[in-house]
Amino acid sequence: MKIATSIRSFLSETGSVARFVYRYLQELLSPRYEVRQFIRQCFIIGYNSLPLIGVTGFIMGLVLTMQLRPTLLTYGVVSKLPVMVSLAIVREIGPVISALIFAGKISSSMGAELGSMKVTEQIDAMEVSGTNPFKYLIVTRVLAATLMLPVLTIMSDAIGLYGSYLGVNIRDHTSLNLYFFEVFNTLHFGDVLPAIIKTFFFGFAIGIIGCYKGYNSSKGTEGVGRAANSAVVISSVAVFIIDLLAVQITDVLGLN
Amino acid sequence: MAKDTLNNVKLGLFISVALVIVIISLYLIGRNQNFFGSNFYVRARFANINGLITGNNVRFSGIQVGVVDKIKVIDDTTVEVVLVIDKNMQPYIHQNSIAAIGNDGLMGNKVINITPNKLSSPVIVEGGLLYTRKAPYTDEMMEKLSSTNNNVEVLSFKLVNTVDQLNNSKALWRILNDTTIPVNLKVSINNIKEASVKINELTDVIHDIARDLHEGKGTAGMLLTDEKAAADIKQAIENIDKASKESVTAIAAIDSVVQQLHQDMFYGKGAIHTMLRDTQFVSRLNNSMVNIEKGTAAFSQDMEALKHNVLTRGYFKKEAKKLKETKKP
Repeated sequence: MKIATSIRSFLSETGSVARFVYRYLQELLSPRYEVRQFIRQCFIIGYNSLPLIGVTGFIMGLVLTMQLRPTLLTYGVVSKLPVMVSLAIVREIGPVISALIFAGKISSSMGAELGSMKVTEQIDAMEVSGTNPFKYLIVTRVLAATLMLPVLTIMSDAIGLYGSYLGVNIRDHTSLNLYFFEVFNTLHFGDVLPAIIKTFFFGFAIGIIGCYKGYNSSKGTEGVGRAANSAVVISSVAVFIIDLLAVQITDVLGLN
Repeated sequence: MAKDTLNNVKLGLFISVALVIVIISLYLIGRNQNFFGSNFYVRARFANINGLITGNNVRFSGIQVGVVDKIKVIDDTTVEVVLVIDKNMQPYIHQNSIAAIGNDGLMGNKVINITPNKLSSPVIVEGGLLYTRKAPYTDEMMEKLSSTNNNVEVLSFKLVNTVDQLNNSKALWRILNDTTIPVNLKVSINNIKEASVKINELTDVIHDIARDLHEGKGTAGMLLTDEKAAADIKQAIENIDKASKESVTAIAAIDSVVQQLHQDMFYGKGAIHTMLRDTQFVSRLNNSMVNIEKGTAAFSQDMEALKHNVLTRGYFKKEAKKLKETKKP
C-alpha cells in the first residue's frame, strides 16, 4: 500500500514537473520579455558562480594530472598526460563537476529564495499587483541557468586545463605552447561539441528543478528548507541521468 | 542603477571571455582537422589498412598535412583511402610519392606517411592515386621475432657446447698458459717484418728488371723486345733445322760407310781385316819383331865397336864435347 502511494506520488510529481516545464516554455515564448531581470539573474547565477567553479575546475585539473601521472609513468607514456587529461576534462569532468557545483549553489538558492517568497506570499502579492510572477521569477532564472552553465563550463575547462598544465610542470617541464598544442591536437569537434551541448540540458534541469521545488514549497519555513534540500539532491541526480543519456546519444551518433 | 551597469559590464566580460575561448578552441580543433582553408583530395589503395580509421593524420615527410577522410572497400583485396590534404602542400606532392600506413609512436594512432620519390614526376592532381607500400605490421614482425628467437636459442645452445669444449681442451689451455709463445710470436713477427722488408727490396729489384726488360736492356731484354734479334733467332732456328735435316742424310752416309767398313773388317781382304782377324799374321808379326830386336842388338854392338875403332874414335869424342858445351850455360 505504501509502495503504491509512493509510486502514485512519484508519478504525480513527474506530471506536475512536466506541466511546470510546459508552462515555462509557454511563458518563455510569449511576450513580454523580462530582459532586465534576465540579465540580473545571469549576473547572479553566472558571474557570481565563476570563482567557485573556477577554483573547482583548477583543482580538478591539477589533481587529475597528479593522480594520473604515476600510472602513465608505469606504462612509460607520461608524454600522453596532456592527451588524457584534456580528454577527461573536456568530455566529462569539466561539464559534470561544474554542473554539480552549479546545482549545489544555484538550485539550493533558487529553492530557498522562491520557497521563502512563496511562504511569505510575495508571489501571490505579485500576481495581485499585475506582474506575472512565473515570467518574472521562473523564466528568467531557468533561462539564465540554461545559458550560464555552458559559459561556466567553458571557463572551468580552460582553467582546469591550465591547472593540468601546472600539474604537469610540477614534475616535468613542458612549455605552455607544447601543452596546448598537444591538447588541441587531441581534441576533436566530437569531444567538444557534445560536451558543451549537454551542459545546456544540465543548466536547464538544475534551473527548472530548483524553481519547481521553490515555487511549489509549502508548510512554512520547514518547507523552505526541504525545498532547498530536495532541489539540490534531485538536480544533482538529474545531472547524472542526463549525462548517462548524453553519452548514449553521442555513442549512437558515432561521436564517441 | 550604476551598480546594475557595472554588473552588466562584468557579465558581458564574463560571457565574452567564454565565447572567445570557445571560438579559439573550435578554430584550433578545426584547423587540425582541416575544416578550414582550401584542401584537395587524393586517393591511395591498400590491401590491408591495419586499423586505420577516418580522422587519422596524414603526414608528408613527417609534416602534418591532412587527415583520412573516407575509407571505402573497392573489392575483396583492395581498400581505398581518401585523404584530404592542405592545398598549400599540393606543389610538393608528386604523382610517384609513396603512401604507407605507419604508427605514431609505438602505441600511438595509425598515420599515413607520404614519402617523396627521388625520381621526377608531375605534381599530383585532385583525386589522384598515390602509390602505396605495404607497411610491416605487428603480427608479421612478431612472427619474424619468434623465428629469430628460435635461432638465437639454437645458437646459444651451440655456443654453450663450444665454450665447454674450449674449457675442457688441455691443448688450448697449455697454449694459453705458455709464456714463451708471446716471445716466440714476437720473434716470428720480427722475422716476418724483416722478410717483408727483403721481399720489398726484391720486389724493387724485380721491378727494375722488369723495367729493363721492358726497355730492352740486357740480353733477355733484347730477346724480348728487339724485333731484329727475334728475326735472327728465327733464322738461326731455321738453319739449325736445316742442318739437322742435312745431318740426317750425313748420318745415313756415315752409317753406310760404317756398314761397309764393318763388312770389310770381318769379311773383306784388306789390311785391316788381315791385322784384326788373321791369326797367322800375328805370329808372323811376332817373328818379325823378334828378328828386329836381334838385328837392333847386333847393330848396337857394331856401333860400340865403331866407338873404339881408331878410325872413327875422333869423330865420337868431338860430338861428346859439343853436347857438353850446349848443356853448360
